[in-house]
Amino acid sequence: MKTPQTALLLVGSPKPGESSSESLGAYLLEGLEKHDVTTQTLHVTKAVRSNEAVEELLAAVASADLVVLSFPLYVDCLPGPVIRALELIAARRAAENGTADATAGPVFVAICQSGFPEADHSAVAIEICRNFARSARLKWAGGLVMPEGGMLNGQPMSKMKGRMRSAAGALDLAADALATGRLVPDEAVRLMAKPAFPPFAYRFTANWGWRSQIKKQGEGASVDARPFA
Amino acid sequence: MTANLPGAALLLDGRADDELTLALAHEALVDGLSADGWAVDDWRLRDEKIAWCTGCFKCWTTTPGLCAHRDGGRKVAERWVPSDLVVFLTPVTFGSYSSELKKAVDHMIPILLPFLRKRAGETRHQQRYEHRHDLLVVGTVPAGQADGPEAQTFRRQVERNTYNMQPPRWAVGVLEQGTNDAEVRAAVNALLAEVGVHAARDAVGAGRSEVVA
Repeated sequence: MKTPQTALLLVGSPKPGESSSESLGAYLLEGLEKHDVTTQTLHVTKAVRSNEAVEELLAAVASADLVVLSFPLYVDCLPGPVIRALELIAARRAAENGTADATAGPVFVAICQSGFPEADHSAVAIEICRNFARSARLKWAGGLVMPEGGMLNGQPMSKMKGRMRSAAGALDLAADALATGRLVPDEAVRLMAKPAFPPFAYRFTANWGWRSQIKKQGEGASVDARPFA
Repeated sequence: MTANLPGAALLLDGRADDELTLALAHEALVDGLSADGWAVDDWRLRDEKIAWCTGCFKCWTTTPGLCAHRDGGRKVAERWVPSDLVVFLTPVTFGSYSSELKKAVDHMIPILLPFLRKRAGETRHQQRYEHRHDLLVVGTVPAGQADGPEAQTFRRQVERNTYNMQPPRWAVGVLEQGTNDAEVRAAVNALLAEVGVHAARDAVGAGRSEVVA
């Protein structure tokens, strides 16, 4: 695997504002920049909105040495707009590089964060990313899964480093490896998958948080309303 | 196997184009269900304006059970909840669903409650509704790929969905592109039988076609 000079972060969160996916991806880019890698960030939902934006996305992928996709788990999978982007990238690369060797294409790495305390929820999503890399003739460098993404809640990793110690350590290891032309190390995968809180504590805190939000924003509606029953 | 009494089936058609095997599978699904007296809500998603789910979670906090966006996305829960059988039809896309199908599936969030509970060793969202829906998923792969890595991921994807959707019965089939009409019908009927559509079960005859893995 060659040493990257340029890296592209694809933020796969469909949220219009801050997202945990962007926080994680941005932290990885910071690590790459320490190795003098030039970085660029695109938001996938915007990138599939118009033909012009799609062309910009495809050009950015074509010119990057390393592509990082950071996304939230949506219904056990990648969010719809991320699948759309991957369909477009794979189709363009198939049209342009039909017989190209995978090792000649950009390196591809995926980061998936979910709102569950178990990393296993995201295993299939990472498989899907690996399949995409094969299909699009990108060099698969590995996938990182972060459980309990709700704890990050879109804040920059630098503000959360104490609570996100494992994730930060994992991303530091991954950045060092990727910047020097190596695959994401197993130790990074293991660290990233480690929940920051015990699962029972996470469930309790998450449920409390939802009740609190519903109380503030619920406009008097019953939390367990069944509008289509 | 207990047969399903004819009920309501929601067919989420995630085809992006008119690929022949998917078209044949679509026809076989509609015919098999209709022949058994099922009411089929045949929803061609590529013709529907459904905004991407933005993960705003207003369907949990502000308008519980309802998507905040007043487009086709809100109709997903509305059409999904009363159905007895939900069918996904899609080209296998990197081992997952097409973006056309996923734009609708992402809008099933309001069918769940935000609250987390441990179930069968993993954390899950609680169900908002008591009524459960059987699930049938049909995907297509290029010829010769029914046991390839994408097809294998696809089966795992569907299985993982069942942990969260909790269908009483479910089945997944992968058809190879280029499969002829008779083989597609046999495979689809076998899958329908697996989810208790009894006219299809009776029509299966010799059993499952090998194109269904």
